Amino acid sequence: MTQNACTAAEFTFLCPLPNGFHARPASHLATLAGKFTSNCILSNLRTGRTADMKSVLSLIAADINFKDQCRVRVNGADEQAATKAIQQFIDNDLSACDLPLPKLMPDGQSGILPRALRSIGLAAYSGFPVSRGTGYGKVVIVSDVALPPELSTESASDPEHELQRAQRGMERVRARVCENLSGQISAAEAGILQAHLAILGDVALAGHIQEKISQGRSAGQAVLEATEFFSSLLRKSESHYIRERAVDLREICHEVLKEIYGLELQPIAELTEPSVVAAENLAPRQLLHLARKEIRALVLESAGTTSHAVILARSLAIPTLIGVKNLRQLLSPGQEVVVDANRGLLIPEWTSPVCRYYERELSTQQSRQAALVRNAMAPAITADGRRIEVAANVSSAEELAPAFANGADGIGLFRTEMLFAGRDHPPSEDEQFEVYVQAARAARGQPVILRTFDIGGDKPVPYLRLPAEANPFLGYRGVRIYGEHRELVCAQMRAILRASAFGSVQMMVPMVASREEVLWVKAQLAQVQNDLRNRQIAFDPAMPVGIMIEIPSVAFVLDQLCEEVDFFSIGTNDLVQYFLAADRGNAKVRGLSNVKHPAFLRLLKQIVDEVHKSGKYIGMCGEMAGDLAHLPLLLALGLDEISVASFEIPILKERISRLTISASQSLLSKALACKGIAEVESLLANVSLSAPHAPLLDRDLIILDSKSENKEEAIREIINALYIKARTNDPDRLEEAVWSREDVYSTGLGYGFAVPHCKTDAVIAGSIGILKLSQPVEWGALDGLPVHTVILLAAPESEANAKHLRIFSQLARKLMNDDFRSQLVEAKDANAMLYIFNGRTCHREQVTLSIQNKRSRGSKTFLATNLRE
Amino acid sequence: MKIVAVTACPTGIAHTYMAAARLEKTAKELGHEIKVETQGSLGTENALTESDISQASVAIFAVDIHVEGRERFKGVKIIEVPLQEAIKNAKGIFEKIQG
Repeated sequence: MTQNACTAAEFTFLCPLPNGFHARPASHLATLAGKFTSNCILSNLRTGRTADMKSVLSLIAADINFKDQCRVRVNGADEQAATKAIQQFIDNDLSACDLPLPKLMPDGQSGILPRALRSIGLAAYSGFPVSRGTGYGKVVIVSDVALPPELSTESASDPEHELQRAQRGMERVRARVCENLSGQISAAEAGILQAHLAILGDVALAGHIQEKISQGRSAGQAVLEATEFFSSLLRKSESHYIRERAVDLREICHEVLKEIYGLELQPIAELTEPSVVAAENLAPRQLLHLARKEIRALVLESAGTTSHAVILARSLAIPTLIGVKNLRQLLSPGQEVVVDANRGLLIPEWTSPVCRYYERELSTQQSRQAALVRNAMAPAITADGRRIEVAANVSSAEELAPAFANGADGIGLFRTEMLFAGRDHPPSEDEQFEVYVQAARAARGQPVILRTFDIGGDKPVPYLRLPAEANPFLGYRGVRIYGEHRELVCAQMRAILRASAFGSVQMMVPMVASREEVLWVKAQLAQVQNDLRNRQIAFDPAMPVGIMIEIPSVAFVLDQLCEEVDFFSIGTNDLVQYFLAADRGNAKVRGLSNVKHPAFLRLLKQIVDEVHKSGKYIGMCGEMAGDLAHLPLLLALGLDEISVASFEIPILKERISRLTISASQSLLSKALACKGIAEVESLLANVSLSAPHAPLLDRDLIILDSKSENKEEAIREIINALYIKARTNDPDRLEEAVWSREDVYSTGLGYGFAVPHCKTDAVIAGSIGILKLSQPVEWGALDGLPVHTVILLAAPESEANAKHLRIFSQLARKLMNDDFRSQLVEAKDANAMLYIFNGRTCHREQVTLSIQNKRSRGSKTFLATNLRE
Repeated sequence: MKIVAVTACPTGIAHTYMAAARLEKTAKELGHEIKVETQGSLGTENALTESDISQASVAIFAVDIHVEGRERFKGVKIIEVPLQEAIKNAKGIFEKIQG
């Protein structure tokens, strides 16, 4: 709340922003102040820092934290109007600007070494993993953007000329950033470039440069000094987020200096071999310049989770650790290291056990991912036979190929507004047409849902001159701005319709609240169709038209809307915050804005049922759909399609095949009756997955000629095989379970055989894994002999299948049989092994498989049939 | 000699049954008659009856955990060994009984 002590041109307030005055609120305020000619100065009364309110940089450098007392002073011709507007903004709108910072939670805790590496006494450093994966290579140490010191001796005789040089340099960098922005880049890169544009356009930065030049500095000196001035302010901030911005500022300065002096000031390391890049922090463009394919991992000493390099590394899927202290002491250039960003470890050596372990882990991950992706090429079908389409959400043409390579059944949401952002004029009809045709072609007949632009509110596009709003999420955005920008909408519709001649294109309208809006859009569409017909341009006259369900009102007039549109897609992110009246960006109420609220689940049920009553198609494209935990609910609701980020598709499709509609429906009816979010969450935490249709033992679980060199490696090798076949989703936990049994006493039963085993919920499907070692390894066996054959028995914790446990027990008994063991020893290939386990023999002598225990008689056929089931 | 035995281990997936098989095999070789009750993940199997127990000269517990229904063995001579002993050296256990 603000406390206003008023004179006409001065007032004070308390900062209402829990995250402090970060870039977003600062840019809103700077835009507003920029509309007036008066000087607008904001003083942080806690720190004593003052800021030019027209400068974003200056505002964030004032380091204003939650509840800091601040004073605004306005001085100039329009001071009355300016004070009034600024005060109104601060009173009414400022707190609404506090969208969450782009904060990435670390992916996991810094962890412990895997058993196989612990056992050899390996040391490792820990860090926080912020982008998963493992990578190994040679260390390349990259320094912070270094600014040249020798400029200090440069002399400047003509301030006018120097100012021109500085301005031209800034302008060129600005042009280049704009050019990059309009190219094919990811959303993460676009966000970073936009932040850079804001710095380049900052009035205080420009003012500071100009001031230095007027004091006799050269263009380069002035840019350098202004940069040092602001970055030292930013670095003093108590907010990690703001400190990170100093890196961006230095990078911009570096780019400008390069333009002014026309040369490369600091050649960026070329990576010529697989490399692990280590740096205190890294500017985003530095990361982009490093040859992407040779970066195997990134280790940053002081970068935070909001660092642009981290955000970028994540979008480029580069395994990344942050917070590894004293990097320069720990590592030397050229040293071979492993970064395990799954477990949060930096392993500073490349000895053969480390190498073997991670090469295996890498190839395991690749095989597993390949298996998931291979399976994802098929439709997603539940264990009891219901199909659901799994489509991809994309924002640009480059995301199309990866989406289909990951098994997308179509594009469920193409956010076309990304084509409109980060530029100073809208994309032309032809430009859009090119992109939409690309999408239609890439889909090869599968549906592509193009959502007409959703601009406004929090997604400002300067050339549309949308007003600043008190409450952008309840304001002028989506379909609501279409009336005013009719030409733009019609150009987009023309582009979409023209693309519809090239594939299965569908059009979807965002932020619909009422039937009238739908009718208006349809009327425009009809005109555009007429126009195309007259000009004899091909399009699909039956192109389906749908709407987003984001506004709760829509849920209550679906009967009417079903008469007007062909399909619906639920945008859960907005729907849930409108429905529960809780802003997801507001930390105080974020907990309320939860899709697992029973009321929200009831709303979804009503929506899907109502749409299906009219025989129309309904999907979901919000974040709710991407969460594996929600899948049973979505399946039970009966959604025809879910649309998610494309990397999520393979694992989602796999999970769908492990769920049944029947079990999901009973879960949903329980969830609908739950009395709170926590109850629903505990229901979802206990969903049991049906085991894959696989026998206990199959060919892929038999490893011959294993090169494992010790017990730890051997156990992990079999567990990896189970992981590849999706018989476990958590190999580390499975390994711990096996070892907690192994640590009681060795499972080496003698005669060169070991039977490690466990019963744990980390196992999805009961499995037998067999490993024959080229070189027997020490196992601490009962007879002291090394082990050559390892048989892993893995049972799920809730083993409902007593048949599996019976087979394990029968197998255990048979291992006491000398003939059975010698057959296993003699078996030369996986087939021979399977024969033996299936109760047959491919050898000359017939082997008695009968078991002495009378109660188990008849087990020969039992074993045989069940291993093959 | 008529012998009864119980095998049991913590996980109850493998060793319970290996020990049972080994005891049965060794007893046969030595000419004893044996019945082994397993207490594993499948529950109690091949359960010893009252008459099994009353006719037995000795009961072997090859166990790493608590034996269910221990009170059934009142009045019978009990030899209790760690389960791995039955796998490693079943013969030794029988020798101990006779000696």
